[in-house]
Amino acid sequence: MNKTAIQPKGLNIAKELNTSKPSTILHGILRICSLILCLSMFFPGLNPARISNLINRNISLFTTGLSFSDLTTKFNAMFRQGAVDKSTFVLLSAASVVIIVGTVLCGIGGCMSLGNNRMKSRGIWFPIVGSLIASGGLVGIYRSYLQLQASRGAKRAQVVFPSVFYLYIGLLGLILLVSLIILLTERRLEKEDKMEMPEKYSLFLMLLPIIVLAFIFLYLPLYGWRYSFFDYKAGGTLSRENFVGFKWFTILFRNPATVRDIVRVLRNTLVMSGLGILTSWVPMAFAILLNEIRSNRFKRLVQTVTTIPNFISWVLVYAIALAIFSTEGFLNSFLELFNANQNTNWLMNSDHMWTKMLLWGMWKSLGWSAIVYIAAIAGIDQELYEAAKIDGAGRFQRVWHITVPGLMPTYLVLLLLTIAGALSNGLEQYLMFQNANNKDVIEVLDLYVYNIGIDGGRIPLSTVIGMSKSLISITLLLFANRLSKFVRGEGII
Amino acid sequence: MNNLTELNSKTARRSGFRRRPGEVVFDVVNVIMFTLFMLLCVFPFYYLFINTISDNDLVVKGAITYYPIGINFSNYIALKEVSDLGNAFIVTITRTIVGTALMVVASALAGYLVTKKKLWKRSFWYRYIVITMYFNAGLIPWYMNMLMLGLTNNFMAYIIPGIVAPFNIILVKTYIESIPEELEESAFIDGASTFTIFRKIIWPLSKPILATIAIFGAVGNWNSFQDSLILMKGAPHLFTLQHRLYVYLVKVSDLETVMAGGAGTTMVLENTLNSKVVKYTIAMATIIPILLVYPFMQKHFTKGIMLGAIKG
Repeated sequence: MNKTAIQPKGLNIAKELNTSKPSTILHGILRICSLILCLSMFFPGLNPARISNLINRNISLFTTGLSFSDLTTKFNAMFRQGAVDKSTFVLLSAASVVIIVGTVLCGIGGCMSLGNNRMKSRGIWFPIVGSLIASGGLVGIYRSYLQLQASRGAKRAQVVFPSVFYLYIGLLGLILLVSLIILLTERRLEKEDKMEMPEKYSLFLMLLPIIVLAFIFLYLPLYGWRYSFFDYKAGGTLSRENFVGFKWFTILFRNPATVRDIVRVLRNTLVMSGLGILTSWVPMAFAILLNEIRSNRFKRLVQTVTTIPNFISWVLVYAIALAIFSTEGFLNSFLELFNANQNTNWLMNSDHMWTKMLLWGMWKSLGWSAIVYIAAIAGIDQELYEAAKIDGAGRFQRVWHITVPGLMPTYLVLLLLTIAGALSNGLEQYLMFQNANNKDVIEVLDLYVYNIGIDGGRIPLSTVIGMSKSLISITLLLFANRLSKFVRGEGII
Repeated sequence: MNNLTELNSKTARRSGFRRRPGEVVFDVVNVIMFTLFMLLCVFPFYYLFINTISDNDLVVKGAITYYPIGINFSNYIALKEVSDLGNAFIVTITRTIVGTALMVVASALAGYLVTKKKLWKRSFWYRYIVITMYFNAGLIPWYMNMLMLGLTNNFMAYIIPGIVAPFNIILVKTYIESIPEELEESAFIDGASTFTIFRKIIWPLSKPILATIAIFGAVGNWNSFQDSLILMKGAPHLFTLQHRLYVYLVKVSDLETVMAGGAGTTMVLENTLNSKVVKYTIAMATIIPILLVYPFMQKHFTKGIMLGAIKG
């Protein structure tokens, strides 16, 4: 009984939407394939036009098509000697442009398939035409591959057949097949008068570029964690041969030299973060003391002036440090007044490095960090102060019993965030101030990763360290969030 | 009588006759402390500046301490002879303008779209953007990713990754949510499309927050150094200003260590372009633009940081 009651309704809906399940799936396949095709245009690793090892590893299909000079940087000599025909590369470049055009058409078709039936039935022609055009481009690439192989300079040109070529054939074939099926099976659907797209999809398509960019630049780096399982050398490739499993993870614990480094670096990191946590109340004190100043103009002046250093990069801070603390710097001139000038270069001195780094950090950010508290003080109910005054509370009592408790929630949130970020002290400050003398005490985790990874080229090991750091940090953050939920009833993230 | 003064506390505060001696001492110490800290913040800039406009012979000896002697601006004019510096300026200015503009437009659009309830899988996409603020793949995977994308030694590496700024998207979204929905609805009834609503209503109304993120983005771009350092190893003509300055600073401080104690130190430094004065002048030329926009920034940054505190 129930079933029969429901079924006609369901049928009605299907009629209303005028689509059937198989076609939804087919359209889904079409969209996914077009998306992959569009994205792969920009990945140098997926460039079907890289028919020679001399073609820069870093150029994508998109660049191949648009920048002839980037494509042929290493072939100019061969062109002049006639070892390789220039027309081969013109063909290659033109074929790339053709593929790009076809890809764009497929992309448009993918977008239009989100519309109503009228839009769908119009839009289906785009992937058909697009995939045919792109296949033509593939033929062009294949032709230029054959030409290059037949040329006199074939050996010098290191001709290779790009395996991505098959991926393209597969993708284009699939797109063509699917759109032909859709075209043939859905001719009888009734059409609306206007081409329209449900608003939810048109909004989504507007957001799509941002989603894609976020994926490429914020999610895709996670894929780089795979380097920690390979014996990768800069410029090499990842393959089954250099897969080493957890070798680098064990090195982290077994290799005495690495262990010593890690212990030293962790010590520096934790000491500096610890100092930061111990002094985390200073901005709050700064705000409270500033609030006690009666002249508003002076208050504003202090705020303006003390925030300036926050907007100066660490490179410039170091330039300033150089001006003040170098041999002919201000400090030595100043000490001369007391005949205490010893012509020292204070920056080369590695004593009390941790404290110095803390002080530089504070100089740069104290005024800025205080702003949150200043704003929070402004948000405290003034009636509380009036009431306390009437009850006979003095100035310091009012601060202690009203302002400080009023700021506590803000302070706790920031403190928890600081603790969660204990392993990330940032790179720039320490990079600027590091030198041969102080490396032992200044090298924090972020700097260490930079030093061994980027400077030293030990990609896998530095990936392992960075990865562990990220995982620990996110755990700490989640823990801090849980703690905050437990204590205050609301989370920090 | 006592009560009267209590009620009239404002006048009492002005004249200050209710302050006890201890309070007076506290107030004086407080003002002195803040004055000293302000001096600490400003003096380095001042010191750097007077050293760039004074007589170079005196500067090299370290004789300029409190006030400039022999004021001239020849150092700033001489900057154009420093190789690669012009390039660095062009690169930095271009990335600041283009990068910031794209970031603001993208943040505004994305921030607006995620407020639209009709957006397909809205809450999922919103979380998809927010989550990225809390994890970080790390420096090396990021570098390998850029390498894979062909964004090394490539100017686009300064522009494209910066377009999506999750934090700014959240700021804009929070702000747009405070705009009365009725405005949008009435425009919708009048037949305006989503994009028209965005352009004609949302964009003008959210200008305060857009100005805030634009200024922060611009300062960030101007100060950018890490991406240039890591990604542009093979393309010195694409170094940003800060990177260029870093190269000059570190090169010479290396030189100083090597020659420490050697009699010819000052001679060598004087004769090379990388001398102390030139370094100071470049640093000052990099700082000045920030100081110039600073007054405009100040109006906005309290708003920015407060919105940041209530994000979510």
